[in-house]
Amino acid sequence: MSSPHAAQRPVRLVVTDDLARRRSTVLFRLVLALPHLVWVTLYGIAALTLVFVVWLAVLFERRAPRTPHTFLASYVRYTVHLTAYLTLAASPYPSFTGSTEYPVDVEIDAPARQGRLAAGFRLLLALPALLLSSTLGGSAALGGWSGVALLSGTGGLAVAVAVLGWVASLVRGRMPRGMRDAATYAIGYGAETAAYALLLTDRYPLATPGRVEPEPELPLHPVAIGVRDDLGRPRLLVAFRFLLVIPHLLWLTLWAAAALLAAIVAWVVALVLGRVPRFLHRFLAAFVRATTHVWAFLYVVGRPFPGFVGREGSYPIDLTIAPPARQRRLGVLARLVLVLPAFVLSSAYSGVLLVVGVMGWIAALATGRMPVGLRDLGAAALRYQAQVFAYLFLLTSRYPDSSPVLRGRSPEPPPLSPLPAEVVP
Amino acid sequence: MRPSVAARAGVYAVLAAGWVVAAWLLAGSVVPDDLSLPHVDVDATFGSGLVSRAERYERFLYVDWVLAQAAALGILWLYARRGTRFIRESAAGPIGTGMFLGMVGLAIVWLTQLPFSVAALWWDRRHGVSEVGYFEAIFGGWLALGGTFVAVCVALLVVMALARWLGSWWWIPGAGVFAVIAALLVFVSPYLTEGLDPVKDPRLERTYQRFEKEQGVDGIPLRIQKVSGDTSEANAYAFGMGPSSRIVLWDTLLDGRFSNREVDVVLAHELGHHSSNHIPEALGWFALLALPGALVLMLATRRRGGMGEPAAVPLALLVSAIFSLVVMPGQNLVSRRMEAEADWKALQTTHDPAAARGLFEEFSTTSLGDPSPPTWAYLMLQTHPTLAQRVAMANAWQKRNRR
Repeated sequence: MSSPHAAQRPVRLVVTDDLARRRSTVLFRLVLALPHLVWVTLYGIAALTLVFVVWLAVLFERRAPRTPHTFLASYVRYTVHLTAYLTLAASPYPSFTGSTEYPVDVEIDAPARQGRLAAGFRLLLALPALLLSSTLGGSAALGGWSGVALLSGTGGLAVAVAVLGWVASLVRGRMPRGMRDAATYAIGYGAETAAYALLLTDRYPLATPGRVEPEPELPLHPVAIGVRDDLGRPRLLVAFRFLLVIPHLLWLTLWAAAALLAAIVAWVVALVLGRVPRFLHRFLAAFVRATTHVWAFLYVVGRPFPGFVGREGSYPIDLTIAPPARQRRLGVLARLVLVLPAFVLSSAYSGVLLVVGVMGWIAALATGRMPVGLRDLGAAALRYQAQVFAYLFLLTSRYPDSSPVLRGRSPEPPPLSPLPAEVVP
Repeated sequence: MRPSVAARAGVYAVLAAGWVVAAWLLAGSVVPDDLSLPHVDVDATFGSGLVSRAERYERFLYVDWVLAQAAALGILWLYARRGTRFIRESAAGPIGTGMFLGMVGLAIVWLTQLPFSVAALWWDRRHGVSEVGYFEAIFGGWLALGGTFVAVCVALLVVMALARWLGSWWWIPGAGVFAVIAALLVFVSPYLTEGLDPVKDPRLERTYQRFEKEQGVDGIPLRIQKVSGDTSEANAYAFGMGPSSRIVLWDTLLDGRFSNREVDVVLAHELGHHSSNHIPEALGWFALLALPGALVLMLATRRRGGMGEPAAVPLALLVSAIFSLVVMPGQNLVSRRMEAEADWKALQTTHDPAAARGLFEEFSTTSLGDPSPPTWAYLMLQTHPTLAQRVAMANAWQKRNRR
């Protein structure tokens, strides 16, 4: 079943993974992948040599020859399989050709006509996508870029997911769904970027999360984000965005001090009563919401100047936070420890958000509009950070959902227990 | 006359009377009232070549300033008419939106002033007065611009909150609150200023301590600020209040172009500002100007619902800019009186009019200041007496003290 949004694209991500992971292969995953790491380097050299031929062909014929196109498409597919294996987004050992089916796979259309001008400057045009892709860290085809991003500390969402997912898979024998979806998103965007850079398509990569076949799952979470934004960005407000947000930053600094005190009080009360008092919940929820509004404005994810009080419904990129509910005391007691993995992932999302902000700032300054993909990715990153702080501040006992999917299907209800067999006398 | 109108008129009368009395109290000076400044032949004193070069230099800056003011007023007029469109770009409440509109207005004005700032910098660099790079001039001041944004926000927060609470009477406490904020900023600014080093020259330190005793002040730290990488101009200033009082000399004053006696005159002059309480006096004048300023703002924005409404903010920016221009000659007059008083105190302390003359003549060379600017520029731009007037005061002091 393909989502209509994904079907229109020439490069489509298909995920049929069932989340089950065999512990023995998880434990030795990196060692097992060593032959692939050697092979992908050789494969990459061949692909890079060939892409020069394809570049000349597209410049003259406006279309890539079928055989080199197929070779490069196989290379991209192979890197997708390998990256999925390395980041634990899939379980089976991948083939070395990229031609067999895999639980995390891409479909790439046959060669189509391409514009000469865009093909001529392809590498230059691909730079923003390469930068974002390296921050997401989801493509072995862009290994060098990912390495730069990791070394500079700006990126590696997929790498953070891989490390955390490795621990989780070892313990539970299953990859958490949210982490798998974060990894597959990074892989999908990396594949689109590689396909664009390697002249397999002239469609620019789209950063909107959740364009996967079949439609991804989006479980209900007590902290949800709503996006009611028209993408228009007045250039004057974009140019001076950082200065305009200074009063908010000062205000949030003061508020954060009060919120920290309130969170400590809430923690003590929740340990005793098993729930956070309503007024503290409201105060902390307003703080988390106001922070989300301000970050959305700063990173060009939201359009208007935000308010100062974090009122629900007051901003186009808005948080809905469920009312207080009972929480298990043990979970409350260990909250500071439990939140640590989420903080690791949150810092990776912060790197993504920074790149979204910088690229969005340049794009909005030039065109007066925020690219939809960047806006959606920014909203997903903001949601994760809000969920982390909501969890830390005891606004919810639900662990943050690391999936970047913004729109998806509700999870299927658990299967009913079989009815007792009818007793036949 | 209705009672409310009578009450209003009564309040205005009391405030006006209080204003006049306060201004009279603040206007005092130690410079003798009967002091008449002798004529100074500018060409003979400063050299005709230097005078014509300084005039040419200043003329460009005057034109640049006039054009910059015209552009600022023009853009603010446009913003006052159309700026309310930006209200839909705010998801904040009325006060937050007002702050937002204030910052947007400031951003627009900054953008329009940029070409004039760059032109002035080009002219300064051409004449060797400044060594600041263009990139640094445009992008190096973001922190200061951010500070201005915050200041505008605080001002609008105070005004709008008071206006929403007190209606059309906000301007009376508003002026008081502004004065308090200004005093607070004056007090804390020495603690926030970085890059001020202690004096390492024992002679300078000894002289400074002697001057402190002579002027009856004690324990005001003397600091050196390194600016020699940015400009060749020489300057010094006194700032802070009470325990935060400081005197700062630019290192360009100590690079050998000025003699020790000339530097002593500068020290005595800056100490004169503190010993004459010029900084609290300046705050007093600020408070006196804030009162009519707030009144004008209140009256001008009534048709837009008053200062409690964000729609009034773009108009308030225009009114504030015009008010600042209108009162500028008065502010400069007060400033010149204070500077003249500090000059007089420096002469009384150093007893060295020759050094004072040498200092002012050297200023003309290093800063290319026009010793005798046109009257309009004198009224609108000169915060200090002209160099010719300062030389004349040194001559007058010498004549009066028969030295």
